[in-house]
Amino acid sequence: MSGDLLFFIEISLAGLGSGALLALTALAFVLIYKATRVVNLAVSEVLMLGGYLFFAFAAGLGLSAWVALPLSILGGGLLGGIVERGVIRPMLGENPISVFMVTVGLGSILVGMAELIWGAEPKSLPAFISTTPLFLGEAYVSRKIAVAFVVAGVTISVFLALFRFWRGGVALRATATDQAAAYSCGINVPGVFSVAWIVGCATAAGAGVLLGAIGGISTTMGVFGLSALVVVIVGGLDSILGALIGGLALGLIQSWASTYLGGEYTSVVTFGLLIVAMMIRPYGLFGTHEIERL
Amino acid sequence: MKTTRRMAMGLLAGAASLGLSMGAAQAQEDIVIGGSLPMTGVFAFAGISIEAGMSDYIKLVNDAGGIDGKMVRLAYEDTGYKVDQSVAVFNKLTSQEEIHLYYGDSTGFAKTIAPELVRKGSMIMGGASFASELNNPEAYPYAFIPGPDYTEMVNILLEYIAKEKPGASIALINSDTEFGRDPIAAAKARAAELGLDVVLEIITPPGSVDVSTEVLKLRRARPDYAISHGYILAPQPEFMSQAKALGLETKFMGTFWSMDSSLWKTVGETADGYMGVMPYRYYYDDADNAPMLDKIREMRPEYQSTGYMQGFLSAMLMVESAKRVLAEGKEMNGANLKAAMNTIKDFDTGGIMGLPISMPGNSIPVGRVYQFSAAEGKMLPVSDWINVE
Repeated sequence: MSGDLLFFIEISLAGLGSGALLALTALAFVLIYKATRVVNLAVSEVLMLGGYLFFAFAAGLGLSAWVALPLSILGGGLLGGIVERGVIRPMLGENPISVFMVTVGLGSILVGMAELIWGAEPKSLPAFISTTPLFLGEAYVSRKIAVAFVVAGVTISVFLALFRFWRGGVALRATATDQAAAYSCGINVPGVFSVAWIVGCATAAGAGVLLGAIGGISTTMGVFGLSALVVVIVGGLDSILGALIGGLALGLIQSWASTYLGGEYTSVVTFGLLIVAMMIRPYGLFGTHEIERL
Repeated sequence: MKTTRRMAMGLLAGAASLGLSMGAAQAQEDIVIGGSLPMTGVFAFAGISIEAGMSDYIKLVNDAGGIDGKMVRLAYEDTGYKVDQSVAVFNKLTSQEEIHLYYGDSTGFAKTIAPELVRKGSMIMGGASFASELNNPEAYPYAFIPGPDYTEMVNILLEYIAKEKPGASIALINSDTEFGRDPIAAAKARAAELGLDVVLEIITPPGSVDVSTEVLKLRRARPDYAISHGYILAPQPEFMSQAKALGLETKFMGTFWSMDSSLWKTVGETADGYMGVMPYRYYYDDADNAPMLDKIREMRPEYQSTGYMQGFLSAMLMVESAKRVLAEGKEMNGANLKAAMNTIKDFDTGGIMGLPISMPGNSIPVGRVYQFSAAEGKMLPVSDWINVE
């Protein structure tokens, strides 16, 4: 294999890996939007909190990473449940912009809390993923990125299957389609809302741990969530498949742009892509036509 | 005379207003250092330390009687590291207080407020920015940088590399921000002058986490040194971790804001060998004739970060300029304060900087290369103090 071709394959694999991380974060946005029609901007900060919870459990309490990881995910889910029950549910029926703004405020509160509890300086997470390089044939892949890819792939596949075949998943889809009709069919709509927030926030917290394992944690790491928001908008706010394909595509394109055009073009290409996608399919590549834009 | 209730109330009000006016007169006598400080947000870790460093130096000055009998006071508010907020804080503080010395939180703020400083002509301003653009006394007559500017920092690293490994190959890794891009063009020119070969330039988007693609470029170029700039910590540890895993022998270096040892300590073994330029001594440095370091350790028994040293020296330079202006009986204004600051020559910082310092222009082009030892959890000096004036 020629050096240039091998290099192209390697950067493409790296792009797919980092795209998988984007897809996993995008999934958190989609899960909550799909059921509740709320764009939860605080997903970015829940992602940050997931990283800090892992830090607290693994570095602070000295727990094994394999205990700290599920506890962090549970912590994210618990936060999602509390927020939904305490803040979001009382706002049912309010203007979507009001609910959206509440999630913006919630994000600020979470950042402030993290700064108060853990301080403002960036930190590194205790290593729990091997750094030994992985080679697919001759092609190098960062092990952490490969792990992120597998985790994101498995998680998203599980959710795709659940939504298609599981009774609860069908209830969630029914709630998303028409809340009043879902109520009349006996579906526990508030329960569905809670589950969506719990699972969405748990997913974000898990993504935060993966992200923190790669790039460390800081109170500003939620910025990554904004990149994932691009994925969600391109893929479709209510499409899990859109999150996966959008994430992988964006990761690939960013990797190619960074390599062949230069890192300074990555953002230009990303947002250029967003504009083009919006012009062609305003509701996202895989989204539902009726999506209300904020 | 019969004391009525109304009279008593009047007397009380009079006494209160007298007390207030005396308090105001006292406050007017203070020399106020204003500050737009990033106590929250992306740069909060630095802002908190800077405030501590400035406050401690001001306390030392006041405990010793102040400047010409006047007390020094720091008046600041949080900016969240946002330019609009920094400007709002500046406007608020300068309208409430008589301020001749100011600390700004960013390059963006320094550049935004520069025309206003010229218009007011009443103060000088330092800050957290070491931007090369600010190191121009004609364009920024009232600005000063409490150390080398970013170009001078990279030049110090290049001087070190040229001495250690003549003809070495270098990769420049910069964040795609105003901060990150600052020294690129000048670094390439200086590297060429020193016979060093810049074989790779990597620009990372702001907030980027995964650097696998960039590491692949690094593996292709296999540079002897990689100088990164525009970061606090991430994504440098990931660069180092993946490069080590791939068997690269590249030595990673950084500039001042990446040099806090407590941050690298959390990275662990991967951080071992990371090098960079530091204009000030570390809290734990062993040094003869460093009474200020001793005082700092006495005031604060626990480690203080690099931002603390920067704040401490910034306050020292401001106070020294004010002292010189008042000693000559001149008016406290921007021109006089800056002229006084420019008379600082072979000035002893009490060991905060390793050489007697001078500030003929807007910066102090002195620094030293340190290397992180994971075993000791400290940055250890690997060069003498280098002056790139």
